[in-house]
Amino acid sequence: MVNWAQVFVNSGITGSLYLIGAVGLTLTYGLSKFPNFAHAEFITLGAFFGYIVAEPLGLGLPPSLIVAFLVTGLVGLLCYRVIFQPLSKKGATLIHLMVASIALGLVLRYSIGSIWGWEPLYFKTSWPSFDIGIIRITGLWIWLIFVAITLSIIMHLILVHTRIGKAIRATKSNPELALASGININRVILVTWFIGAGLAAVAGIFRAANTQIWPMTGWDIILPIFAVAILGGIGNFYGSIVAAFIIGLAENLGVVALMTLGLSTSYRIAIAFIILILTLIIRPEGLAMLFRRS
Amino acid sequence: MDPLVYILDFIVLVGIFSIFSLSLNIEFGFAGLANFGKVAFVLIGAYTYTLLSNINVPFFLCLIAGAIASAIIGFFVSLPTLKLREDYLAIVVLAFGEILKIIVKSEGWIAGGVWGTPVYPAISIAGSSTRLDMAINIALVYVCLFLSFLLLQLLTNSPYGRVIRAIREDEVAAEALGKNRAKYRAQVFALGSAIAGLGGGLFAQYLQFIDPYMFAPMLTFTIWIMVLLGGPANNWGALLGAGMVQLFDRGANIAKDYVTLPIDPGNLQYIIYGVLIILVLLYRPQGLLKESQVKTKAGESIFNGRDFAKNKGD
Repeated sequence: MVNWAQVFVNSGITGSLYLIGAVGLTLTYGLSKFPNFAHAEFITLGAFFGYIVAEPLGLGLPPSLIVAFLVTGLVGLLCYRVIFQPLSKKGATLIHLMVASIALGLVLRYSIGSIWGWEPLYFKTSWPSFDIGIIRITGLWIWLIFVAITLSIIMHLILVHTRIGKAIRATKSNPELALASGININRVILVTWFIGAGLAAVAGIFRAANTQIWPMTGWDIILPIFAVAILGGIGNFYGSIVAAFIIGLAENLGVVALMTLGLSTSYRIAIAFIILILTLIIRPEGLAMLFRRS
Repeated sequence: MDPLVYILDFIVLVGIFSIFSLSLNIEFGFAGLANFGKVAFVLIGAYTYTLLSNINVPFFLCLIAGAIASAIIGFFVSLPTLKLREDYLAIVVLAFGEILKIIVKSEGWIAGGVWGTPVYPAISIAGSSTRLDMAINIALVYVCLFLSFLLLQLLTNSPYGRVIRAIREDEVAAEALGKNRAKYRAQVFALGSAIAGLGGGLFAQYLQFIDPYMFAPMLTFTIWIMVLLGGPANNWGALLGAGMVQLFDRGANIAKDYVTLPIDPGNLQYIIYGVLIILVLLYRPQGLLKESQVKTKAGESIFNGRDFAKNKGD
């Protein structure tokens, strides 16, 4: 007997994680016009920074989220400044930028591997779990959902009401016009890389606290995160909120289907892939058209 | 270890990796297709070879079947992305490689699942020495390499090669000339996948063992480094790149027995690879060997080479 209420709660949790992970990717993808494959390593890096603050230093979850956000954001900003900005200025093609991001991913992943090793680490904090009727939810999951909702509200307020948010939207929709209107698009792109990498770190901490932490933590979830970015429409924040919960739901329903059929649940990652392919066939621009404003 | 066997082993692997890098070169170098999932098509070739050779199909048929299977699957995987920007193909193929690895990992009945499976060598002579086996492998691999190289060299210097380069440079202009971009991209992707599949079959029969972990994304990026370093859109460059990266690999393996480093050499190797790619892209994106200019009689008589265009630009 399948506990459907639990499946829907799990979908919300999965969706929240993918949303936090995908917002940064979709923003940098939309503004810099190339998919940053090293986003996976930003997730991993953030998870390790968060781990250090939360476990050996023993400061708990909230400080680890903040520290990891700031430090990883700075790493992301530096990576853009040192690698991708010079490449763009030299007229690198889209493929060159993608390859460079893969190369950056390799450097980061194996540097992480040589610093912290390849043995999985675990967050030792045990979270209280609550039973609400037939639903079971842990303290960590409540934190995750809380962070996802807060993030959505803050991002919405930033994008709509602040100067930098308006500059981000302008740069995304028409860089030349934004430049002509006196927007410093280089600075705008740097800000999105900071925010993007910082949010990747937050997703990394939640993923790591929920499962394990090792140099492939980010790589393990990069496929659904790409699926969210493309289904939501590249560079489209509101689209990615909807897409994250669609993919979260599809994955959790898929796991139920896989278990019913007696197949390995490691195929759950294939569900995001199928959605990705379907999006490209049916509607390559994703859900973007649903949200004019962004 | 017998030093001669060590050298012969090196020669075989350079041959196999040259086939891989040639297959990426036609896709990325000539046609501008970012195949970030090369390993998937190597895997298809290797598994097709293994499954067929286990039911006693002659080795050359196994190799051809591996190439055909790769081509067909490559065609279908590339299909949804052919009319879109290059980045969609990159994401889809990368994801496809990961999914394929999960399938062969979890389906134990295919070829032993995570445990892998032994593979029969293509040509085995009863009671032969390791050296002789190596020599046979060199012959087999280099015949395949020669045929692939010849095919690609003829193709890329033909009108077909000029069309795919034109699409890479300016797809709008190429379409204005009536060239169907999606059709050419599908053909090139299928061809590249076929050659990778052939190489995959050779790889499996040479190592005489396959398991899913051999087909990690790292293999894809090793092939990318070969092409980027050697020189995209230059078939000789692809060979040079394969040789250089294999040589570096060997050198690093020998060096780590003599040099003690603060960083684990296994990690350091990939850090160096990553830094190397970024430096190549920043300072020498054309690789070591440049793409040769297209020479046709018509072009020479009209423009007298590229000088005309250059002077006009200045």
